[in-house]
Order: sequence, then C-alpha cells, then structure tokens
Amino acid sequence: MIEFRNVSKVYPTGTHALNKASLTIDKGEFVFIVGSSGAGKSTFLKLIMREEIPTSGTIIVNGMQLDKLRHRQVPMLRRTMGIVFQDFRLIDKMTVYDNVAFAMRAIGASTKAIKKRVPYILELVGLEAKAQSYPSELSGGEQQRVGLARALVNNPKMIIADEPTGNIDPEMSFEIMELLSEINKRGTTILIVTHEHELVESFGRRVITIDKGVVVSDTVNVPAVAQS
Amino acid sequence: MKFSGFGYLIKEGIKNIWSNRMMSLASVGVLISCLLLTGAAGLLSLNVTNAVDSIGGNNVTRVFLEQEITDLEAVYIEDELAKLQNVTETAFISKDDAIKEYQESLREDIFEQLLGEGNPLPNAIDVTMADLALYDQTISQIMEVDGVESTRDTREVAEKLTSLNDLVTMLSFIIVVALILISVFIISNTIRMTMYSRRFEISIMKSVGATDTFVRIPFVVEGMTIGLISGTLTSVLLFLLYDIIMKAVQNIVEFDFVPYLQVGWWVTLAFILAGVLIGALGSVVSIGRYLKKEGNELLGW
Repeated sequence: MIEFRNVSKVYPTGTHALNKASLTIDKGEFVFIVGSSGAGKSTFLKLIMREEIPTSGTIIVNGMQLDKLRHRQVPMLRRTMGIVFQDFRLIDKMTVYDNVAFAMRAIGASTKAIKKRVPYILELVGLEAKAQSYPSELSGGEQQRVGLARALVNNPKMIIADEPTGNIDPEMSFEIMELLSEINKRGTTILIVTHEHELVESFGRRVITIDKGVVVSDTVNVPAVAQS
Repeated sequence: MKFSGFGYLIKEGIKNIWSNRMMSLASVGVLISCLLLTGAAGLLSLNVTNAVDSIGGNNVTRVFLEQEITDLEAVYIEDELAKLQNVTETAFISKDDAIKEYQESLREDIFEQLLGEGNPLPNAIDVTMADLALYDQTISQIMEVDGVESTRDTREVAEKLTSLNDLVTMLSFIIVVALILISVFIISNTIRMTMYSRRFEISIMKSVGATDTFVRIPFVVEGMTIGLISGTLTSVLLFLLYDIIMKAVQNIVEFDFVPYLQVGWWVTLAFILAGVLIGALGSVVSIGRYLKKEGNELLGW
C-alpha cells in the first residue's frame, strides 16, 4: 500500500527533511506517524500525496511508483486517498452537504451519484441532521467530521489524517478517533500523523516514530487501558 | 474523462463572474473600450478605402485632343485609349458637349457666339482608370497616342488619397494589435484575481484528485463569458455610435458612408469571436502558473 525505500528529501534551502527513510504500511492497517515538529512528518505526507518529489529513493503508493508518475497521472493517485486536515479546510460559504458533494463534483461524478452517496456518508459520520448547516454553525468536532466525510466520499483506499484532532477538544478528539477506527474496520487503511503522544498511547496501534528525518522506532503500542 | 460534471463547472464559471462582479464589470468596461476603438479604427479604414475607391471610380481624367481632330478621327483615338490596360471606360465629349458644360456660367450672348464655328474648345475623351496607383504610367501611355494634345492633371489628388488610405490602414492595424494585447492582459488579470479568491477551493479540488482540465474549466468559462458580454455590448454600442457620427459628419460635408448594415453582421460576429477568444486566451495565460503549484504553496501558507 505504502512503501518507502531509502527515501531522502533535501529542500532547495538545504534542509534535510528525510534521510534514507524506509517503511512499509500494508493494506487495512491503522498506523500513527509521530514525531516532534520539524521531524519530517509534513514532508512524509507531501511525498505520499506527491506534492513533493524525493531527492533520492523510491516511493510506491497504492501500486503506483511515484517517481515514474507523470503530472497527468497525479490526480489518479490522489483519488485513491482521502485527506483530513488539522484545520478542516471546509468552504465557509457552502453547506455541509455541498462541502462533501464538492469533492465528488471535482472529479466529475454525476448528480445522480452525488445525491445517492453524500447522504449515506453524512449518516456514516453522524451528521445527517446538519446537512444544510454551514461550517461556522458547527463545533470543531463536527467540522472535522465533515472533513472526514469529504475524505471518505470518493471511496478511497486509505485515509491520511494530518493532526486530525489538533484543533478540537479532547472529548471530541476521542470521538473522531473512534470514527476512524470504525472506518478502518470496513477495510480502509488509516494513516494518522500527530505529535499528541497521549492520544497515540490510548490506542493499541502501530506507531512509527520519525526524528530528524529518520525512522527511529516502529512498534505496536499496548493500549494504555490494557496496561492498567 | 467524464462529461457528467461539465454543467456544474460551467455554472461555477458564471457564478465566478457574479461573485467577483466589481472586477468583472471593470474588465467588461475595459474590454468594451478596447473593442470599440478597434471597431472604430476598422470602420474608419473601411470608409477611407471605400471613399478612395469611389473617388477612383469617379476619377475621370479628361484627355484633350488636338484642335484639328475631327469627330470621326476622335472615334479611332477613343478606340486606341480603350485598349490601354488600366483604362476601364472611355466617353467621347464633343466640343459642342464641352461648351454646354459652361452654359450656366456664361452670359447668353457670349455663349451663343461660342457655339458652332466660334467654339474654342477641343474635342475630348473622358477616361476612367481601374487603378489610381498606375496613374503616371497610364497618362504617359495616353500621351503617346497620336492626336492627344494634353490631359487634365489630377495626379496630386490621386496620390494623396492613395497614401492616406495606406496610412489609415496601417494605423488601424497597429491600434487593433495593441488593443488586443491590452485586452488579453486585462482579462488575465481579472481571472488571476478570481483564482486568488478561489485558491482555497482549487487546493481542495487538487487534493481530492481533480484533473487540470476540471480546475481550469470554470475560469475559462468566466473569461469567455466576459468576452462574450463585451463583444455583444460593443456591437450594439458601435451600431448606435456609427449612426450618430455618420449624421454629424454628413451635416458638415457630403460623405458617402458605408452603411452599417452592410457590414454589421460581420462586425458583430467578429466582436463576439474576438471577445470570446481574448477571454479564453486571457484565462489560459493566468491559469497555467497556478496549476503548477501544490497544497500550501497554492494557498500561500
């Protein structure tokens, strides 16, 4: 699903963001990528989405070798993944429904398909009652659920969440994580990038730690609940 | 590529015009000004060309024959002149016909003395030329014909008209090219503004895997619609202005204008086409740079 082989990334400014990083994430996994700010997490995400190209090494995502991907083929890569942002990135002047539908329209889905799919996804994230609300009328947790609905609506093989709980209070955070677990159970790979160690520790999941551009550990966490 | 989403994208483009209405209005205004000046230059050039042609058509050079040439001999000379390449028409003007042209400006008694034997005028032949540019050459050919005494010289008028026509045509061309470039620049600037205000949507579209074409369509539609509106309004405006100017000029001097309706449909078509093409070109110019950017770079974060 995701494979990094000796990937290095040096920015034109001279910053070594990643240094010979290698890792493999399989289909259906639920993985945390942790590290302090500046450790190389953002670069890691940008490389997966192919917003950046590695200086050296090979990246394979959903069967596509990214360095061999042409500019024209990048949209096809991105359709295999759903992105959830820390700051939600919802369009203020669109309703919840339209925000989710927008992702389908952007890739040329038919009106019929949109009408069938959007209500189903809104129900999945528990927002069917808020379909006609605007983002500003929602709580942070609800906004992030809209973000998640938008990421899910095109039925991607994996969800990549960049600090998904960074802007919401702890109770809501837990709710979002539960929702992601639920989605994972249906077979979607989940990749969460975060620096919130407490959140990671409360889930018994695989944790990949990056520091100074190097993968320093790759372990399966024992849930905090189980420890006590 | 699926076509199912096209209607949505076209609607988005038209919505862009409204949500960005001040900028759209400004660019429609500038585009109308440019197209109007372009149209005025074109119509001026057309009218001058037409005037030169019609003066050329009326520009009859009178060829005077020697005094002793009789009417019969004049017929042969007329044949000779008609054979010249640049001559389209000839008309024999007998000395009697010629004197009658002066009838009104002469006193009755003097006029009567000049009729018949007392007529001092020679027989003459009016010659019409096809191309005034060949005036000199044709005149010297005429002078070589036996029995020709002299010609009434209209060379200066002919030369001035021809060079005026060339000048107007050239100036019009320069104006048209300059104004089209300005228009493309204006449109591309407007589209850039819209893209800036929509950069957030564009970044989301790209992150969910929208193709470049899909991102581009609303903006191209926006540019083309602005062009279409401007082209249509310009046609109407020019039609009204042409009428006003035509009447104003005709109050001062007698001038045969090319009737607007004779060229109106072509002008309208040209304006709409030019507007739409300028609009499309303007948007494509500004989108190219935007599409290369990714993620936060696109948002300027």
